Order: sequence, then structure tokens, then C-alpha cells
Amino acid sequence: MSQLMDEIEECVPALRRYARALTHDPDRADDLVQDSLERAIRKRGLWRPSGSVRSWMFRILLNVYRNDLRRQRRSPAPLSLETIPGGDPAGLDVQPGRLALAETARAMQALPLEQREVLLLVAVEEMKYAEAAAILSIPIGTLMSRLARARSTLRDLTQTGTPKLRSVK
Amino acid sequence: MSADQNKSIEPDLHAYADGMLDAPARAAVEAYLADNPGAAEEVAGWKRQNESLRVLYDFPAEPVPRRLDVHHIEREIRPATGRSGRMAAAAVLFLTLGAAIGWYGGGRFSTAQPAEIALADEAMKAHRVYSGEVIHPVEVWAGEKAHLKAWLSKRLDRSLAIPDLAASGFTLVGGRLLPSANGPAAQVMYQDETGRRVTLYIVPVKSDREETSFRHAAIGPLEAFVWTDEAISCALVGDVPRDRLLELATLAYKQLE
Repeated sequence: MSQLMDEIEECVPALRRYARALTHDPDRADDLVQDSLERAIRKRGLWRPSGSVRSWMFRILLNVYRNDLRRQRRSPAPLSLETIPGGDPAGLDVQPGRLALAETARAMQALPLEQREVLLLVAVEEMKYAEAAAILSIPIGTLMSRLARARSTLRDLTQTGTPKLRSVK
Repeated sequence: MSADQNKSIEPDLHAYADGMLDAPARAAVEAYLADNPGAAEEVAGWKRQNESLRVLYDFPAEPVPRRLDVHHIEREIRPATGRSGRMAAAAVLFLTLGAAIGWYGGGRFSTAQPAEIALADEAMKAHRVYSGEVIHPVEVWAGEKAHLKAWLSKRLDRSLAIPDLAASGFTLVGGRLLPSANGPAAQVMYQDETGRRVTLYIVPVKSDREETSFRHAAIGPLEAFVWTDEAISCALVGDVPRDRLLELATLAYKQLE
């Protein structure tokens, strides 16, 4: 059992990152992670050693998040510029990077949840497609089409003023 | 390249952008991209997106706050095993939701989710078949409760508790294994001092089912409360008043957690 606890503990930073990326709200993200950890620890008897602890924890987190959304029906709060990484806030020379990130942040908020969930697992958590599909309980083909839609929506939403070449599909 | 060929290579293009291809597959995609500048541009865009997202959501290496310390949470939970603290609060929330849905739903499902309807239907059918049985209502009797728990847990591949409903006046009769649409299901039977029986029907669920609050169903005189937890879906069925059944369902829910 304590090995399971250690493995759960190792997941905490990734769970916090994923929850922050989903919610754009660090406090709410930690609330979700706390609820998920409590639930996992209470129900560890239900954990089956045949699976990976990381996948199990991410599934629980997504369940908690979706239940929470259903209860509250709120969309992610805007990510304030202060919380966007990118160095010295006063430095003019870092402005373009920071603005581009802010634009990406806004675009992510506009993505439908099912696309956001997929893109964040793949791009930020760098999960294999099979693991991400298992966490979301969707077939891999569905995962791929959500990933493709997420990327194309994100591109459309962030491509202000950039000429764009488009030939795939 | 025809549209079909473009379509079939698209998953590989994503896998390439995400750095998930082995060397030969990578080389094949690179050869394709060399001939298709439009695709190359798109793939480069995906890589930039990944990079932006990683920077945007980069997680500062800050110490984990105490409330997210698993060992702290474990210590907090342990003394409360069973029914105090947050668990009781959670159960009350379920109870309130369940009651509201049950009453306002006018005896119909609060939301017509097919999986829940199917579950209530299966559980009610099983209840009708076995609750009236005099000689063989169960396969394993209450006297062998430990065996019943071990057997059903093994067959459902879940560590199940056999809830004790004595606090609400129903004692364990025993249980049996049944076939269901999702593989083996368990039916656990209870009766009160007048011989009135309720059955708890448990099926394993895959992870794609989200947890639900209690949902209420009624067909004729039979009432049911249905809920889904982390790894199981349950239906408590009986010809007893709705508030009484809800009390029993709440008791069962708490012990199955």
C-alpha cells in the first residue's frame, strides 16, 4: 500500500499542472487535486494493480473536474497576464512572447473541453496516444480526430496577422 | 498525393510533431514533408503550439502545499474511516440531490441516461425473479458472509464490501452471481422482520462512466435507486416506501465506498 502512496505522490506535480491548465485558476486547480487525492486514497481498495497509477489518477482528476463543472457550469476564468510565465513583466523586449502566450491562453479557453483535455494530455503531459485515450476512455481514432480539431482551432484562433499556408486535408 | 493518402498519413504527422515515432517512421514522414511544403508548414505549426503550451503551462518547482501531501491526507482520512468528516458531508449531498431528483422527477428518471435505465431494468428483473423465492433466494447465505464477499469480489474484479443494513432494520439474507450486459453482476439480498426484501444489484463499470448522485426509478410497486461510484454501478431495488429505500441506499453507498 505504501508503494501505491508513493506512486500517487509522484503524480502530484503533473496533476497540479494539468488541473491548472484545465481551469486557468491555481486555487481551484489545487482544490481539484486535493479532492482527487482524497478520493484516490479513500478508494485505493478499488485500484487494480494491472493499470498505471498515473492513468488512474488522471482519470479521477477528470471525473472530479467534470462533476465540478456540471455542478457549477462555469468556464475557465481568464488567465491573468501576471501568471503567464515569460520573465520580467516590465521588460518591453519580452512583450511579443508574452502577448503570444496570452493569445494562446485565450485560445485555449475557447477550445471545447473535449479538445482541451486531449491537447493538454498530449502536448503538455507528453503522453502516448494510447495512454491519453485510455485516460479519457475513448477510442484512439476519436483521440486523433479531437487532437486534429484542437490543433486546427487553436491555429485559427491564434493566427492574427500571420499568413497561413494550408494544404494538409 | 491524393486526398486519401493525405488522410491516412495525418495520424503519423501528429505523432511526428509529438515526437512519438521511431526512427524509420520518422524518416518516412520527413521524406513526405520534403515533398509537401504545405504539410511541413502545418506540422511546424503544431510543434510551435506544443512549445507554447509547454511554456504557458510550465509548472514552477514550488513545494507541494500541505493539503496536497498524500501522507498528510492519508493520516487525516484514516481516523475518519467509515462515516465522519468529509465523507458524511459527501453522503448528505448525495442524499439531498437524490431526494430532490426523486421527488421532483415524479417517479421518473431525472435524466434519461440509457446506461442507468438499463441498470435499473436489469436490477428490477433480477429482483422479481429471486425476491419471491422461498427455497433458493440466494446462492450463498448470510452465514458465509466472508466467503460471499471474497467470491463476489473475485468475480467482479472489485474489492466489494457487503453492506450491513441492520441499522435500518434489514438483515442480510445472502447473495448470488448473475449474468448482466457487462459481465458478472452481484445481487445481495436483505429482508426485514416482516419478510419484506430488498436487493442490491452491483455491476462493474469501466472508467468511462462518471460518478453520479442517486437517481430514482419506479415501475409499478417496485422502487429503485441507482448510482455509479468509481468502479461500480449499483441499484437498490425493493417494494418499500421511497424514503425508506433512499435511507437504505444511503447506508449501502457509504459502506461500498
